[in-house]
Amino acid sequence: MKNETRQTNGTDAILSTANTLRWEIGDNIHDTLVESIYTDAQRIAARTVTVPESRPAFSFDRQLDRLITSRWFGFPLMFLMLAVVFWLTVEGANVPSAMIASLLVDTVHPWLRGAFSVLGSPWWFTGLMVDGVWLAMAWVISVMLPPMAIFFPLFTLLEDFGYLPRVAFNMDSLFRRAGAHGKQSLSMTMGFGCNAAGVVATRIIDSPRERLIAIITNNFSLCNGRWPTQILIASIFFGALVPAHLAGLATAGAVVAVAMLGIFFTLAVSWGLSNTVLKGEASAFSLELPPYRPPQLWQTLYTSLIDRTAIVLWRAIVFAAPAGAVIWLVSNIHIGELSLAEHFINNADPFGILLGLNGVILLAYIIAIPANEIVIPTVLMLTVLSAKLTGVGDGAGVMFELDDASGVADVLRAGGWTMLTGLNLMLFSLLHNPCSTTIYTIYKETKSVKWTAVATVLPVLMGLVVCFLVAQVYRLLA
Amino acid sequence: MIDPAKALMLFGIIAAVAALFFLPKIGLVARWKRARRGMQRVLIEDALKHIFDCEYKNIHCTTESIAGTLLIPTDQAAELLTRLAVMGLLSTGDNGVHLTADGRSYALRVIRVHRLWERYLADETSVPATEWHASAELAEHTLTAAQTEALAAQIGNPHFDPHGDPIPTTSGEIPPKVGRSLLSLHSGEFAVVTHIEDEPETVFAQLTAQGLHVGMQVMMIERNNDRVRFAANGEEIVLAPLLANNLTVAPMTEEEQRITAPLSPLTTLSVGQEAHVLSISKAMRGHQRRRLMDLGVVPGTMIRAEMTSASGDPTAYSIRGALVALRRQHAEMIYIKKD
Repeated sequence: MKNETRQTNGTDAILSTANTLRWEIGDNIHDTLVESIYTDAQRIAARTVTVPESRPAFSFDRQLDRLITSRWFGFPLMFLMLAVVFWLTVEGANVPSAMIASLLVDTVHPWLRGAFSVLGSPWWFTGLMVDGVWLAMAWVISVMLPPMAIFFPLFTLLEDFGYLPRVAFNMDSLFRRAGAHGKQSLSMTMGFGCNAAGVVATRIIDSPRERLIAIITNNFSLCNGRWPTQILIASIFFGALVPAHLAGLATAGAVVAVAMLGIFFTLAVSWGLSNTVLKGEASAFSLELPPYRPPQLWQTLYTSLIDRTAIVLWRAIVFAAPAGAVIWLVSNIHIGELSLAEHFINNADPFGILLGLNGVILLAYIIAIPANEIVIPTVLMLTVLSAKLTGVGDGAGVMFELDDASGVADVLRAGGWTMLTGLNLMLFSLLHNPCSTTIYTIYKETKSVKWTAVATVLPVLMGLVVCFLVAQVYRLLA
Repeated sequence: MIDPAKALMLFGIIAAVAALFFLPKIGLVARWKRARRGMQRVLIEDALKHIFDCEYKNIHCTTESIAGTLLIPTDQAAELLTRLAVMGLLSTGDNGVHLTADGRSYALRVIRVHRLWERYLADETSVPATEWHASAELAEHTLTAAQTEALAAQIGNPHFDPHGDPIPTTSGEIPPKVGRSLLSLHSGEFAVVTHIEDEPETVFAQLTAQGLHVGMQVMMIERNNDRVRFAANGEEIVLAPLLANNLTVAPMTEEEQRITAPLSPLTTLSVGQEAHVLSISKAMRGHQRRRLMDLGVVPGTMIRAEMTSASGDPTAYSIRGALVALRRQHAEMIYIKKD
């Protein structure tokens, strides 16, 4: 006991002396330590490392850098590169998407139905598993897989080569004004492929505050699950406004305008966040520009297909399967005369119409949270169901798509859609909660319920407000 | 269907009500938070802090000065002092009020939280310097002892706050005040800024706006009753004596280099030129400072401007074999010496 007390006294004395000394030394000690480490390292390196005598006066890297970061070529080159990547993705994905869809939806789906009935499965089980779960999965795979399998490797190749850090370098000024990091331009672009992958891509941002900003705003990049929705609705409602030979241009214009609006919201929300709730979060800027390297083609293909595409696709399938079941169930469980879906649609319709949308759209966005890819098939199915259309679709709870836009237009108009509904659907498709795969990814990346909730709820609120305002103004003017 | 004009109007009203509640600084929520500062415990702790501060600086402390600091009427301040005396925290002697041992230890606890919090904000967050004090004024009354110790451990048990004030230890030790006022320097005398008084807030904001920070080298040029002219890190600054009195300085050691000309920041390096790093400004703190040092930006490092971004701002420098882009606002705080 006595011994112990003495020991404590001894420690206290030492601690107290240490305190006094630290007060005398002052606050510079850490800087001095780092400096001395560098001095030592430098001395050791100078003794042991030999550097080739002459650095080439004409360095290829610097020459290329001058071009890529030049005032005149920097941005046009960047837009050109991105345009080529997007064009390759869209054009290249069309054919395989159609092939996968015809295989999984047009061939395997009827076959599965046959197989289930041969095995004596009750109708509701066939419906739940084949029309619900299988179809949702098939849709997600056919819409999602081909563009991702093209976009991610291309993007990774550019990254590997060393071009993307230069894009971040060129774009930093814009993002700095929004309180964000230049590298956010990369995670944002990645978001145009897939928001979940975009959120993962924010790992390259090493400053905590700027990374959080990039994660929360990634959803404002239209992902490839939403491009088809935008294009379809734009061609029906905007393409139809102009003469036929200009329809393609009007459609493209409307879609690009929505994508640009997304970029605007990315910057505006980044600015808002960095000046309010994220004002105090730690932040440090530096951006390393690695030397150019010939990309390693096979390794890139492997990592981008396995690490990015496969993981994201798997998560999407896991979330889509139960969604398919829910979609089938709400359309087939009846309370009284009407199905659950119709009850919801009837009740939500006044609110939906106030927002310039309708009950069908609201329900579709709730049950299709797992994947934006299945929003349009769900909308079509629910419209047929609730408007009691005959001759289109495959029955309650069976999502479907039509081969030509005019067929879709007929169904939607029969469901009471107007120009305003089309416009607001495009806006709401841009401004709503991220899909559940992305929400899960945000949670995994931030490990914070709070920021996941902000990233989820903020875009929906913005979408509701924007749609509401647009609807009122449209009605006042129309 | 609701009439669109009415719907818009309703929306406007809801937005206005939300703004009334949640606007920063003037919203009801912000006001309510401020109002809580007037609570009794807060007043007691603030009064103790003020009296401690007077004793530490060896200045006379009066009921009026307490009332002034706490922004309360004089009679309320007098009441407060009586209350403190009843609680055994204060003793009244011939020459004004003094803290008892209990009062002193209570005051030091509050001060410890305040300074630790300021240090935390300076090193671990991006909260601007002008907001440290106000935030610490709130934190000092709300943090529990356990939270305070956790915070201290998290930031490495620092010994000084960002203004240069020593942080009391858990056992209430604090070194005696050292250094003297900037006003005491003779013309041509060199010294280092060791402390910048953070109260009142407007004065501190003015000093910060001049670019003054702890760790700067100063040289007195001339002073008279109207103004004080001195060089801070080689840059000439003119202040009213009242403001200059808020700067505390300490003599420099013999081996430290005297700065006689304005320091040239990294931003003065044009593409293709190279220079040695002289120092990183003490105004750059926390994560950003650590990041730069990790990259090898330490005194003596050779640094070379390689290219500017297409949009003009970040500039890429080669630092110890790596190409690193730095923003102008940070490059301005790195001082260099061209050969």
